[in-house]
Amino acid sequence: MVDEHTTAVPAMEETVLEASEAERVRRDGVIARLWDHLKRDWQLYVMLAPTIIWFLVFLYKPMYGLQIAFKDYSIFRGVAGSPWVGWEHFQTLFGNDQFLRAIGNTVKISALNLLFGFPAPIILALMFNEVLHATYKKAAQTIVYLPHFISSVIIAGIVITAFSPTAGIVNTVMGWFGLDPVYFLTQPQWFRPIFVGTGIWQEAGFGSIVFLAAIAGVNPSLYESAVVDGANRWQMMWKITIPSILPTILIMLIIRIGNVMEVSFELVILLYQPATYETADVVNTWVYRQGLQSGQYDLAAAAGLFNAVVAFVLVMTANSLSRRFSRTSLW
Amino acid sequence: MAGVRLEGIVKAYGAVQVVHGIDLDVAEKEFVVLVGPSGCGKSTTLRMIAGLEEITSGDLAIDGTRMNRVAPKDRDVAMVFQNYALYPHLNVADNMAFGLRIRRMPKDQIKTTITETAEILGLTEYLERRPADLSGGQRQRVAMGRAIVRHPKVFLFDEPLSNLDAKLRTQMRAEIKRLHNRLGVTSIYVTHDQVEAMTLADRIVVMNGGAIEQVGTPMELFNNPVNTFVAGFLGSPPMNQVKGKLTETGARIGDTEIRIDGAINGNAGRDVIVGVRPEHVSLTADEGTSLLPISLDLVEPLGSEALLHARFGDDNLVFKAETHGDIHHLSGVGEVHVPASLVKIFDAETGRALNLGA
Repeated sequence: MVDEHTTAVPAMEETVLEASEAERVRRDGVIARLWDHLKRDWQLYVMLAPTIIWFLVFLYKPMYGLQIAFKDYSIFRGVAGSPWVGWEHFQTLFGNDQFLRAIGNTVKISALNLLFGFPAPIILALMFNEVLHATYKKAAQTIVYLPHFISSVIIAGIVITAFSPTAGIVNTVMGWFGLDPVYFLTQPQWFRPIFVGTGIWQEAGFGSIVFLAAIAGVNPSLYESAVVDGANRWQMMWKITIPSILPTILIMLIIRIGNVMEVSFELVILLYQPATYETADVVNTWVYRQGLQSGQYDLAAAAGLFNAVVAFVLVMTANSLSRRFSRTSLW
Repeated sequence: MAGVRLEGIVKAYGAVQVVHGIDLDVAEKEFVVLVGPSGCGKSTTLRMIAGLEEITSGDLAIDGTRMNRVAPKDRDVAMVFQNYALYPHLNVADNMAFGLRIRRMPKDQIKTTITETAEILGLTEYLERRPADLSGGQRQRVAMGRAIVRHPKVFLFDEPLSNLDAKLRTQMRAEIKRLHNRLGVTSIYVTHDQVEAMTLADRIVVMNGGAIEQVGTPMELFNNPVNTFVAGFLGSPPMNQVKGKLTETGARIGDTEIRIDGAINGNAGRDVIVGVRPEHVSLTADEGTSLLPISLDLVEPLGSEALLHARFGDDNLVFKAETHGDIHHLSGVGEVHVPASLVKIFDAETGRALNLGA
């Protein structure tokens, strides 16, 4: 037994040494390879540099400031000088009815956006794909792309005017049918439909470009084969086009899910008013009011961090579900 | 089963005519191969038969019924595409069942048909796999399976083997031939590969520049090409063609007199092209042969035979010779012997074969 131990231990040590040596060689190999890559493709790395610098400066460096979510932050003492307070801000947040309401509103608006706003560009792309008249198709595409290029302020102005109780087109049309005018933008129950509808009007056209590109990539002989097999256009859309662009749809869905907590901040700010906070106030607008307007940067940072963590978990979950069930994933 | 008749079929895209009035009769159960170089209009012709391209003018009939205005699905044809056209999101069984489901065939009947066809094509174990998980040959078989399950009147093949490697192509070629012998469905097959055309076809249609050059059995076309294009297109390597002049007894090319069969009559002095197939020459003199002095350039061994690349005046010629297991004896070749009966004479101006009579 003793003999066995005495021979086994040095052998094991030897194995460990060999493994660490192998690891060192491998690491050296990786560094050498990276260096070779840098030397060979330095022009590409130079071109990549601005993006990396942008990420570092505007996305990674500010992460340093995230710690104020756990501190009693004072602008005079700075980030490093402010004392730690642990989870206090999060306790405050989750004890705050307005914040909880903002989370609820964010989730509800996002759910509506996902339900109606996500399929809209897909449907639009499928419809464009069926239009055979080239000139008409181009004109229609240009018209639906345009709202994307209009500033949110103008969009909000158009919406406010359209829904105005005195001169708005919506109330004018309602008047033709003998209905009383409604001041839509002051009534909480109308905020979400108007907001989601505006988003679709503004972005569905531009969003359809991605799906149109995916449709353009479908092998034309799949359609020809289906035509010979006897499929009509409707069957071809359901049985060929949609399944063929499904990977693109899933990727876009994952990205969209990752942005669930990021409801269009500017448009909410521009369209909501205290009368509609009940349904319109989302996490970002609440953070804006608390952080910038009331100066509670630490509390706002805690809310922002919470937002980011939720988005991270959602995107990871969506990605792994997609990978598992459809072999499609972002990474 | 049904025949296919094309009468004066024309295809034009605006002012550009790409198919110039094709007449062709494909008999029931016949395997016809349309062959020609890229852009000769063979695929366009096939697509017009399938209904994927509109016919500008002329008549197309399948099984005696005019099909010009009939939708592709009602022509009862099935097509196999060059890139297989398999639905990537469906497995093999669903790909094969696609056309049957569209036509609302009962489920149990679909299952039986798929099982039987998969067995014929050796695809039974792959029925659950998606196209991405199959090899090129297997994908091609699925594409054929999808056509077979429909039990169409006519099979249309659009260069179905051109995406496969040489070995697989040979294998699949034999499979297609076996399948045709077994099913006996009228088939029209498009290819630019003359070997495929020669091996598969009951009849070959050689096309060039949107028109038919010649129609006939593979051996008819090989032995009696109607013009220099057909002579140069069929055969591997193609027929050697050298400019010359007819004399009272044969044809003169350079300083060499080649004897030819047939009566020259009043054609002596006419400018011609003399055609000799690489495999028709011998290295030894025989009765009825003429000596052709050559300057050997290169010997390419192929195993049982070798290709002799040689110069004759300004022309590059290729001949085939048997190796008998060794190529050393070929390196000193300085002449070949051309049999008079196998020399082809074409008019130098028109390229048409001259029928000198035997």
